[in-house]
Amino acid sequence: MPASRVAALPLAGVERARERFLRRRPSDGPAVTLAHARIYIVPSRRGLAVIGTLATMLVASLNYGLALGLVVTFLLTGLVSAALLHTFRNLAGLTLRPSGAGETFAGARIAFTLGLDPGGRDRVAIELAPRESSPKVVDVAFDAVPAITLEVDAPRRGRVALGRVTVSSTWPLGLWRGWSYVHFPLEGIAYPAPEPGAPALPPGTLAADEATLSGAGDAELAGLREYQRGDPMQRVAWKAVARGRGWYTKEFEGAGGGGPVLLAYASLPRTLDPETRLARLTAWVLACERAGRSYALSLPGLKLPAGLGREHRREALCALALFEPPGATRPADQRVRR
Amino acid sequence: MTARALSLFRRAASRRDVDMLSPLQIRWLGILLVCAQLPHAINLPLWIAVFGVALVVVRMRLATRDTARPGAAPARIPSWALVVFAVITAFLVRASYGYLVGRDPSVAFLFVLAGIKFLESRTARDGTLVLCLAAFLMVTPFLFGQSPFALAAVVPAVLAFGGALAALAARSPASAAAAAPRRSLVAAGKLIVQGLPLAALLFVLFPRLAMPLWGLPQASRATTGLSDTMSPGMIAELTQEDTVALRADFDGPPPPASLRYWRGPVMSRFDGRSWSATLARAEGSLVPYAGNGVAYTVTLEANESPWLFALELPAALPRFTDAGTIADVVLTSDQQLVARRPIGQVRRYAQLSMLADRHPAGPRAATENLRLPPGTNPRTQQLARTLRERHADDRALIQAVLAMFRDEDFTYTLAPGVVHPRDPVDGFLFDSRRGFCEHYASAFAVLLRGAGIPARIVTGYQGGEYNPAGNYLIVRQLDAHAWAEVWLPGQGWARVDPTAAVAPERIERGLIGAVGADEPVPGRLRDASALWAQVELRWDAMNDFWNQRVVRFNADSQLDLLERLGVKEPDWRVLGLGLTASLAAFFVALSIYLGWKFRRPERDWPARLHQLAANRLRKRGLVPGVAEGPVAFLDRAAEACPDLARQLRDIRGIYAALRYGPQPTATDLQRLKFLVNGLRP
Repeated sequence: MPASRVAALPLAGVERARERFLRRRPSDGPAVTLAHARIYIVPSRRGLAVIGTLATMLVASLNYGLALGLVVTFLLTGLVSAALLHTFRNLAGLTLRPSGAGETFAGARIAFTLGLDPGGRDRVAIELAPRESSPKVVDVAFDAVPAITLEVDAPRRGRVALGRVTVSSTWPLGLWRGWSYVHFPLEGIAYPAPEPGAPALPPGTLAADEATLSGAGDAELAGLREYQRGDPMQRVAWKAVARGRGWYTKEFEGAGGGGPVLLAYASLPRTLDPETRLARLTAWVLACERAGRSYALSLPGLKLPAGLGREHRREALCALALFEPPGATRPADQRVRR
Repeated sequence: MTARALSLFRRAASRRDVDMLSPLQIRWLGILLVCAQLPHAINLPLWIAVFGVALVVVRMRLATRDTARPGAAPARIPSWALVVFAVITAFLVRASYGYLVGRDPSVAFLFVLAGIKFLESRTARDGTLVLCLAAFLMVTPFLFGQSPFALAAVVPAVLAFGGALAALAARSPASAAAAAPRRSLVAAGKLIVQGLPLAALLFVLFPRLAMPLWGLPQASRATTGLSDTMSPGMIAELTQEDTVALRADFDGPPPPASLRYWRGPVMSRFDGRSWSATLARAEGSLVPYAGNGVAYTVTLEANESPWLFALELPAALPRFTDAGTIADVVLTSDQQLVARRPIGQVRRYAQLSMLADRHPAGPRAATENLRLPPGTNPRTQQLARTLRERHADDRALIQAVLAMFRDEDFTYTLAPGVVHPRDPVDGFLFDSRRGFCEHYASAFAVLLRGAGIPARIVTGYQGGEYNPAGNYLIVRQLDAHAWAEVWLPGQGWARVDPTAAVAPERIERGLIGAVGADEPVPGRLRDASALWAQVELRWDAMNDFWNQRVVRFNADSQLDLLERLGVKEPDWRVLGLGLTASLAAFFVALSIYLGWKFRRPERDWPARLHQLAANRLRKRGLVPGVAEGPVAFLDRAAEACPDLARQLRDIRGIYAALRYGPQPTATDLQRLKFLVNGLRP
């Protein structure tokens, strides 16, 4: 065994213990049931004040030989101690499951969903606090299985991890704060924020071979065909639907500036920095979706064929969110660590 | 640095804005405070009690007004008003008691202060402070008395403490609902009941102090039936109190009533009208304890005076079975037991006595006890000289005086009326001839001094009622008595009780047996039917039990308990150890139970192996989607990594078989382990 490994062993142990206590890494599996090994309890500020008062009462009663003073002091001590166990019980046995991560534009808040299973007991005033985000206090009835949405700031594009969540409670008397860390590998995606006041869409200059969805231009109505699942809503012949003739999709004869728009990273001016380019592309994706024009996306190392609709939009936005500009530091590594 | 401090300050400021007390919380704190204040009502002057409670009520009214007008700014008392209130309170307390440092004014001040603090309370932090003040206020009534009623009076406050805490901690709809009055009282009661075992353990085992750390607060008024001066003839009527002075447990049967003289203050100085105690500095010597001695334990009620009572004559210094040591008590040369500090609380001590009526003393004591102010009580002094001429022998003279009391028309009464304020002894002996023990003892001592025989007055208690319900003796304030001691050459001091000559039944049967039907003694004592007397005695026995088992449960009782449990030579270390060990045992048992209750579920091996495979596939950039099951993920991975496709498809197949197959086998699991371990992307 090499010497360096021998030296590293105790350190690794310390690191493991730290990780166990602080849960810095998303090491929690598909469900976490809070148990005594991972619930910590310390007196709250009010708890400290009350314990200090009890100590004063104790000393005064001992000094003046007030047996009944001791009775009252110890009664309250019993009350405070019982509250400790109740605080623990309020958390123990509570199960948390990661159930979903949302997507949003950078600068907004991204929503994560956690499933709570109270384990057959009423849970009162459970606080769920993601790091650097406002906490949420929930009550869970013994027979409910609610999904709790936590919102986290997404300041930059890319993957956003929910990070460590502190599950805590001071119920019933607010004298003790019990808490536990859970850290699920939940990640949402923040799209680039669309550039405000972006220039108009480039003309639809997509060559025929680049448009896989042939005839998906929007110049002249060529005719109607049977509706197929996945056709963009904007192309549905709503008049026909309204007349009860069934579902049809309008087909256009693509030509001139009316063809699918090619949104290419490379065609944007080189003077713009990569993030601005991505912001503009994002704005254009949204503009195309609004206008109902199909579009293709071309990023260095990634080509998205022309298309339209929710799925296409999501694919394009995700590609823009996770894009790593050549030569620049990889934004995927800049993901917000929590 | 400054910026950081500033931001911290801003955060604190904004926090304060957030954590304002809601009207419900204020109401709870008010209920708590009133509950904590009420037990004091009988101990404090009326105006202080009313003022303190009124402050709390005013704050609660303001909170109600805030609820009624949701839009308006919440009530706010300027802080300078509080300082003004506090100063006024201090001034009034000073005016009411005459002093500021002491038990009663301190408690009064704390009582009002809690109200003042509550008046300005707006934030959660204020709430915490009020809570702590209320908790401390709960122990202070016991400075005044530790009866079962005093404890019962504090119980509502203990419950309200739980309720107020719950109200302050409410952060969600469910916890706010739990802070509703009835629910939270029930919840607080439950928590207290759950904490009872711990409370009992602490009460029994928590080591008590053998000596107080600092002085006891002094009460302002003496509460005993005895005092260190005596002015017979100046009191028109003696109203007797039936409060208990002391209780005594005898190891054997109690001595007969005629021998139960509880020695108290000795008075040697006479100014013609009043007797007063001189502070005897010299230390006396104890009479030796011999065959006919008695051993007993005295539970002395607090009397704010320094005297410790023992049967005549004490053969040992009292051995306190509670806090305090021998060094605190001295035996003076006139055989009084005097504590260095007044008895401010119930004390309990073991005592040895010889039932003797005489003890030796030096001749110096004799000369001190011959002084009579010349010119006072001339007729008495004249009588004394006549007696001296008639009887050369001291004993004969004493017998002559007692015979005079017995044979002439002297009456024993508690309502003698005021006689001859200048020369009260003359007035008693020659005019009224009516009086109680003080008159007879005083007249007797003056006559003897006039005849050249040293004499003095001894006060204390005589008799006492035997309580068969608890097998002990109750001595009440109305058993207070005065008798005389005369000094005989070669013999020393001898006890003579002139009252016994005129009213022997006072000595044999106590005061009630001695006085007529129109005497001012508590009616319920005189008219006691047998049943009522029984109830009374039982009640007193219960009080005695309470005093001994709860109020006087102290270091000594703790050690006693340990000894009975089989610990040899216990001390406070054993107690501490016992307490620590019990608590440790409790928490070890608790954590073992919790460990068992929340034990790890049995390992789900297929899931773990899938997790391991997924972790390894991360290298290839493959991450299971949130909604992607293991089978779908492994399929996707197999497509993405053609080089691993066979292995991954095998893993997927076995996984599916283990999970969903009709009969998963151990071999399958072994194969899955093997395959996953061999997966090297």
